[in-house]
Amino acid sequence: MTAPSSAPAGAASAAPAAPPAEPAPRSRRPPGGDALLGTGGVLAFLLLWEAVPRTSLVSADRLPPASTVLATLAERAATAQFWTAVGDTLTAWGLGLAIAIGAAVLLGFAVGTVPVLRAYTASTVEFLRPIPSVALIPLAILIYGTDIASTLMLVVYAAFWQVYIQVLYGVADIDPVAEQTARAYGLGRWARIRYLMWPTALPYLITGVRLGAAVALILTITAQLTIGSPGLGQEIAVAQSSGAPHVVYALIVATGILGVAVNTGVRALERRVLRWHPSVRGEAAV
Amino acid sequence: MPRRLLAGACAALLAVAASACGGSDTETTEDGLTKITVGAIPIVDVAPLHLGIDQGYFETQGLEVEVKNTSGGAQAVPGAVSGEFDFAFGNVTSLLVARDSGLPVQTVANGVSSTGKDGEDFGAIVVPEGSDIKSPKDLAGAKVAVNNLKNIGDTTVRNSVREDGGDPSNIQFTELPFPDMPAALEKEEVDAAWVVEPFLTTALDEGVTEIASNFVDAHEQLTVAVYFTTEENAKKDPELVEKFVTAMNHSLSYAESNPEEVRRILGTYTEMDEQLIEDIRLPAFPPDSSIESVQAVGDMMKEDGLIKEDPQVDALFPGRP
Repeated sequence: MTAPSSAPAGAASAAPAAPPAEPAPRSRRPPGGDALLGTGGVLAFLLLWEAVPRTSLVSADRLPPASTVLATLAERAATAQFWTAVGDTLTAWGLGLAIAIGAAVLLGFAVGTVPVLRAYTASTVEFLRPIPSVALIPLAILIYGTDIASTLMLVVYAAFWQVYIQVLYGVADIDPVAEQTARAYGLGRWARIRYLMWPTALPYLITGVRLGAAVALILTITAQLTIGSPGLGQEIAVAQSSGAPHVVYALIVATGILGVAVNTGVRALERRVLRWHPSVRGEAAV
Repeated sequence: MPRRLLAGACAALLAVAASACGGSDTETTEDGLTKITVGAIPIVDVAPLHLGIDQGYFETQGLEVEVKNTSGGAQAVPGAVSGEFDFAFGNVTSLLVARDSGLPVQTVANGVSSTGKDGEDFGAIVVPEGSDIKSPKDLAGAKVAVNNLKNIGDTTVRNSVREDGGDPSNIQFTELPFPDMPAALEKEEVDAAWVVEPFLTTALDEGVTEIASNFVDAHEQLTVAVYFTTEENAKKDPELVEKFVTAMNHSLSYAESNPEEVRRILGTYTEMDEQLIEDIRLPAFPPDSSIESVQAVGDMMKEDGLIKEDPQVDALFPGRP
């Protein structure tokens, strides 16, 4: 089995390149400097956003300045309606992602361990995978109406492939020597899955989950926006048809914050689940 | 295996769907009210529905209404046909197209009508400030924005051009959402646009020129949209339909005679700014549809090729003269 072309991107980027043996850190950034830089970046972006509508570049009626939008968001955050929408969005996202992960893990392990099956399904998977979920919207409405189920169909479809492909790669990445050793020591099928395949595939799976989580959130909002199932996306659609751009942008900022929160959450999960993995241990040492 | 793979994905989806799709069978609440679901786009046009709920007209009829916001007319017909909505709000063009393609929809109550006053209607053809286009006939060959192609917008714009003595055959219609039209006009990305409220007021404030009231040109009392259901629903529970119609007609009369109430309710289900709510032109909400005007629109649609057969106006309005 050849090495997978796409290594888990998260695990690779999380591993710092600097050799830990070096006594003096090469980087001159102070501890916590990344967070500082990150905050600086956000501030610079907000300043730019505040400035642009005040020039003749874009009218403030179309793109309200950051201060107006953030004030609107603060107002919204005090209403129950806003939090219901956030709840609806997170429910659709969480359910969709969970179904996608469950299905992808089961199918990924089943197909990945049987080379014949894998070869047999490869072209079908490559055919289905690039189909944009959004193209399925008319079908989703036809089958499920404008309920949460139609949102779920799109979310599951999009997130499933992200996880499934990673699981396939993970299962394919098993070290043949370790595999033969396990067999030589008489480990049974389930023991090999538990002690060999699962730990090998886990970093890939987590990467898939992280990719899937982001895609699932995008699709949740998109589905609510276009289909009109309840959630932040639908609130954006209502604000759009009411000609209230400051509300539209406030809700867009809210979805952005949700995205950051989701990513932070999955990263925390990654560190917890993979604490034994060199990539995470290396990160912790710095 | 691909089949098994698909089957697996479908099974997972179905498991979720089974719990989410209740079907169209009506439920009863603890207070003895019958629960109904109405699909409606959250714009000015459906103010009477929200106002009627607010005023308790539906409760009096023993109905508890859940309004499901659809994000466009495109969802209304499939939503009603699939049984997700007991009733839905849709424009007459979409419904005539639906009937033409064999979907058994029928009107139960009027929805929204044009004011019938030229230059004071809730929708209009507008052009950028200082445009050479002065009247509809000048639109020949121009790029005109409408929200949906092959719908009520392009049909009535073509009619306005014809009525004005122009040739509508080479107008380039472009699809653009209403919220984006004021910006497109300002940047002169389009030569003209068919805009409805609240974006008409926004665009007029920014200096565009109104050249025609296309709904008024189409008919002096044009019925633009109606509340509808499927023939199956209407047959299954005529009593329920009767109750909905009674409540809806009360709501329409109340909205028609209390414009300040319409403006108040707009503040509850839309995100419109208070000032904008004050400034916009309200449509008319007569309880009766003008069948004659729907026939006129249907004839235009036939002429423009939106429908293949003669418009099924009688089937869309069963039991009406």
